Amino acid sequence: MRPYRRRRIENLVAISLCTLSAAIGLFWLFFILIDVVIEGVGALNLALFLEDPVPAGLEGGGLRNAFVGQLLLTLVAALLGVPVGLLGGTFLAEYGRGSRIGHIISLLSDIMTSVPSIVIGTFAYAVLVKPFGHFNGWAGSFALALIMIPIIIRTTEEMLKLVPWELREAAFALGASYYRVILSIVYRGAAPGILTGILLSIARVAGETAPLLFTSFNNTFFSVDMNEPVPSLTVTVFQYAMGPYENWHAQAWAASLVITLFILIITLLGRFIIFRRYGKWKTL
Amino acid sequence: MGKESSLSGSLFYVFTVISAFLVILFLLGIFYILFSESYLAIREFGLIGFIFSQEWDPVRDLFGAAPTIFGTVVTTLLALLFAIPVAVGIAIFVTEIAPDYVKAPVSVAIELLAAIPSIIYGMWGLFTLSPIMAGYIEPALQQTLGRLPIVGILFEGVPMGIDLLTASVILSIMIIPLIASISRDAFNLVPSIVKESAYGVGATRWEVIKKIVLPYSKLGIFGGVILAMGRALGETMAVAFVLGNKHQITTSLFDAAATITVSLANEFTEADTDTYLSSLFYLSLILFAISFITLGAAKLTIQRLQRGGAR
Repeated sequence: MRPYRRRRIENLVAISLCTLSAAIGLFWLFFILIDVVIEGVGALNLALFLEDPVPAGLEGGGLRNAFVGQLLLTLVAALLGVPVGLLGGTFLAEYGRGSRIGHIISLLSDIMTSVPSIVIGTFAYAVLVKPFGHFNGWAGSFALALIMIPIIIRTTEEMLKLVPWELREAAFALGASYYRVILSIVYRGAAPGILTGILLSIARVAGETAPLLFTSFNNTFFSVDMNEPVPSLTVTVFQYAMGPYENWHAQAWAASLVITLFILIITLLGRFIIFRRYGKWKTL
Repeated sequence: MGKESSLSGSLFYVFTVISAFLVILFLLGIFYILFSESYLAIREFGLIGFIFSQEWDPVRDLFGAAPTIFGTVVTTLLALLFAIPVAVGIAIFVTEIAPDYVKAPVSVAIELLAAIPSIIYGMWGLFTLSPIMAGYIEPALQQTLGRLPIVGILFEGVPMGIDLLTASVILSIMIIPLIASISRDAFNLVPSIVKESAYGVGATRWEVIKKIVLPYSKLGIFGGVILAMGRALGETMAVAFVLGNKHQITTSLFDAAATITVSLANEFTEADTDTYLSSLFYLSLILFAISFITLGAAKLTIQRLQRGGAR
C-alpha cells in the first residue's frame, strides 16, 4: 500500500477536480440564464405581447402573432399527443404488462424519444406539407405531437407500474372489471405522476424549433388558421437572431426570455407535483 | 354493471392497443416515407457514392453527404470529449462529496440546465460565446497548441468564432446535464454497505469512488453517454447558429462546416429542384438510421448486461 500522505494528496486533488466540474456546470447555467435575463429584460415591454411585427428594418412592433401561434401549436399538439400517449402507456403497463410486444413497444418508444426532432420535421413535411403544396399549422402540431407521444407513453407506463398490484386485486375482488379498475383505481393513484409526464412533454416541445422550420414555417401576420403557416416564437427567434437588425436581436432575446421562463416554470411545477406525491425529487 | 360496461371496457382496450401500436406505425412510417422521398437521390447517387462524395453543388444538381457526416461526427465526438469528464465530475460531487443541503439545489439546477431549449443555447452561442471564442480562447489556443507540430493543423486559420470548435463547446454544455443526471442515478444505486465496507478498511473518499462506485456504475454512465451521443447527433438549433453551414471537410477546428441537421435546417425550404430536395431527405434518412441503430444497439446491450448480472 502506498504511503498515507500520497493517498491523502491524491484524494484531495481528485475531490477538488470533481468540485471544480460541478462549479463549471453551474457556471454555464448561471452564465446562460443571467445573459438571457439581462438581454431579455431590456427588450421586454407591453408592445411585445400586444402588437404584431412591423415591416423589417422599422423600429417598434411586437410578437403578438408568434405568442398566440406558439400557444396554438402547442395546444393542438397536446390535444393530439396526450390521449394517444396516455392510452398507449396504459396498454404497456396494464393489458400488455410482461408481454413480448409490450416490451418491444416500450423499447421503441425509448428510441423514438431520441429520434432527432428535425428528422420528425422532414417526415411531417413529406406527409402534411408536400401533398397540400403549402406550409400549415397542422403539420407543425403533428410533428410536435410525434415528439410528445413516446415521452408520455413511457412516463405513464412507469407511473402506472408504481401503483401496487394489490390495489388492483382488491378491486377485482369486489367484482370490478379491469376497465373499471384502471379508470377508478390505477389512474387515480398515478394521477400526479401522469400529470408530471404531460407537463414535461409540453416543456420539451414548447422549445422545439427544428420540427417547425418547414412545417408550420412562419408568418409575419396574426393568424390562427391552422391551414395556413402559423408563426411560432422559436422560429421567429431563429429568424430574428440571424437577421441584420438590432431591434430584431433585442426582440429575439425578449422572446427567448419568455420561452425559457415558461419552460423552467413548467418543469419546476412538474417536479414539485412529483415531490409532493412521492416525497423526493424523482427523475423521469 | 351490465352489458354497457363491458362494451365500453372492450372499446377502451381497443383504443389502448391502437395507441401503443401507433409507435410502431410511426417509426415504420418515418422510415418508409423518408426512403420513398429520397428514392430519386438514392437512384442517382447510390449509397456508397452518396456517403463518400464531397460534392454539394445545387447549381449542377450534384450532392454528396461526406462533408455533413464529417461535421456531424466531429462535433459529436468533440462534444462528448468535453462533456464526459465534467458531467461525471458533477455526478460524483452531487452523490459522494456535497453535503446534503448542497445536493438538492445543485441537482435541481443541473436538471433545469437540461430543460433550457436548444434554441436558447444556439442564440447565446451566437451572441455571447462566439465573440469570446474568437477574441480570446481561439487566439490563445493558436498561440500555444497551434505551434506544436502535427496538432497544430487543428488550429489553423483566422479565428472567427463561427466554426467547429464553438459548435462543439455549445453541444457539450447542452449534453452535460444529460450525462450528469443519468450518472448520478447510477451512482445512487451503489449499495451503501459496499461503500461503508471500503471506508471501514481505511479507504479514502477518492479510493471508494475509483474502486467501488465507478466500476459498479459503469453501465449507467455508458447509457448516459450513448443517450447524450444521440442527442448531440440530432441536435439542430444549438449548432445552426454557429457552424456556418459550409459543406467542406477541413482539418482545422477554426473552419466553418455543416452537419446533417444544420444543412437540413438551412436548405430544406430553399431546395428548388427535385434532386436537391430528395438529397436532403436522403440526409435525413441517414441521420434517422444512424441514431436509430446507435440507440437501439445501446439499449439492447444495457438490457442484456442488466439481465446477466446486477452490474
